[in-house]
Amino acid sequence: GIRFASTTASLKTETEVDTSENEVVAPNFTNRNPRNLEQMALARKERGWKTTWPKRDFWHRLRLERTQHYVEAFVERSNGDVVVSASTREWAIKRHLYSPKGVAACKNLGRVMAQRCLEAGINFVNFKAIIPWEHRCDSIQEFEKAMEEGGVVLREPRRIYR
Amino acid sequence: MAAPLLSTALRGARGGRCFGTAGVLWKRAAPLGPMPNEDVDVDKLEVLEKYRSFARYWRQAERESREPRWWNTYRKHSDPPAEPQTDIGLPRVRLSRAKEIKERKRILRENHRNAEMERAARLRTVLIPLDDVRAEWERTSGPFHKQRVAKHCGVFRDLFQGATFTPWVALRVQYSQEDEHLVPVYYGNMVTPSEASSPPAVSYEADKGSLWTLLLTNPDGHLRDADSEYLHWLVTNIPGSDIKAGKEMCHYLSPFPAMGTGYHRFIFLLFKQHGPIDFSQDARPTPCYSLKMRTFSTFDFYRKHKDAMTPAGLAFFQCRWDSSVTSTFHQLLNMREPVFEFVRPPTYHPPQVKFPRHQPLRYLDRYRDTEEPTYGIY
Repeated sequence: GIRFASTTASLKTETEVDTSENEVVAPNFTNRNPRNLEQMALARKERGWKTTWPKRDFWHRLRLERTQHYVEAFVERSNGDVVVSASTREWAIKRHLYSPKGVAACKNLGRVMAQRCLEAGINFVNFKAIIPWEHRCDSIQEFEKAMEEGGVVLREPRRIYR
Repeated sequence: MAAPLLSTALRGARGGRCFGTAGVLWKRAAPLGPMPNEDVDVDKLEVLEKYRSFARYWRQAERESREPRWWNTYRKHSDPPAEPQTDIGLPRVRLSRAKEIKERKRILRENHRNAEMERAARLRTVLIPLDDVRAEWERTSGPFHKQRVAKHCGVFRDLFQGATFTPWVALRVQYSQEDEHLVPVYYGNMVTPSEASSPPAVSYEADKGSLWTLLLTNPDGHLRDADSEYLHWLVTNIPGSDIKAGKEMCHYLSPFPAMGTGYHRFIFLLFKQHGPIDFSQDARPTPCYSLKMRTFSTFDFYRKHKDAMTPAGLAFFQCRWDSSVTSTFHQLLNMREPVFEFVRPPTYHPPQVKFPRHQPLRYLDRYRDTEEPTYGIY
């Protein structure tokens, strides 16, 4: 009788204590996620460097490096840290290609790179770091088309100032 | 630099107003390292190898810009120098390298002999199978790439205070929806809270008889303390890869990133246990909707059990507010929903100077406490 009443009373206080403290919320909230501000388009881009090329006003930049023997693609931040990379030097890609350089290699590298960027959550990249007269060549055009078809937008959203 | 100072000093000594040179701050000294282009022999320019193309020059310039320099650079100021990272993961299992290289060379030789592959490459019709590439990547360079992305998302900094590990075990996490649609979780992709409302299907390669622990934590969402995390799911002593057979210490709670706070990371950690561990201290009551009980610190949890388990797998997703979070707050957590707003840090102005040079009248407006603009008032 009494014991039963006391157990029910204690259970009720437990659930009350459980959720009544949830209401207490600190007025200032800090989000430690380093990718939060850039995904909300509120982070700063390095707007200086206007007299040099390539400029550094981006959150993520896509850089395609075509050497004599291989083709490599990097997505990096403005401070130079590489976030996602793909290259025909990797065994996973090299085994399926006849030659690790050339237009076919660039096209397939674009497809693989687009998949890896989407998996890493990078949907917008800046693709301005290509030499203007080289931009018209077949391999870079195929790479760009493969990235667009893969779902990555090659244009970063404008920062929200107000 | 010495000549103007000497003449001003002499002018001061001869007559007229004295000019003190006690304010000289610099003194000439040898440079602390090699000057740039010191190794270029300017006398023998014909012998020097030229770039002959902009692309070659640009590639060299990019490589040089990433080199650390002995003079002060913005990079040194903004990025702190990397400390040596302690590795807390599993040791790497290296198979016979010579056999691997021999096998790869054989495959490449076959590719070169294959006429169809050559024709497809020449006509640019070759399309490599992305699934096979991904499977091979997960086995070879996947763990390193995942570690790199996790480092940039601050996972190691926030969960383990800098200690890193390479996720050798490929963790496949998939949320299934009502219409048989599967939402996978890779390293950093976007998943909405309504998609993540029920526990996901987790699979990984495990030997028979091995024990694992799976943990889902949110380091960003804590409403009271910025340094602690919320525990969303803890399953321990999992035999092999069968999650259902493991002991669920804390039942699954769907993500609840508050409105206005932006994107939160939700990190799945897979630990390999060396033997059965007693997790009774970390057991939460079965319907645990108290945020105080869910407050968690992965660093303390790992430090408590670090002799008995090592981190082996990692997967994380980014999540932001949507309407299902409101129902989570109201029904499950039994509280009013908090709504936040982004507050910009105040714009920086350099310290005020008594006689500012080349500044407009609104210079004074920047330092006044009240709002009294000096323009637009007429």
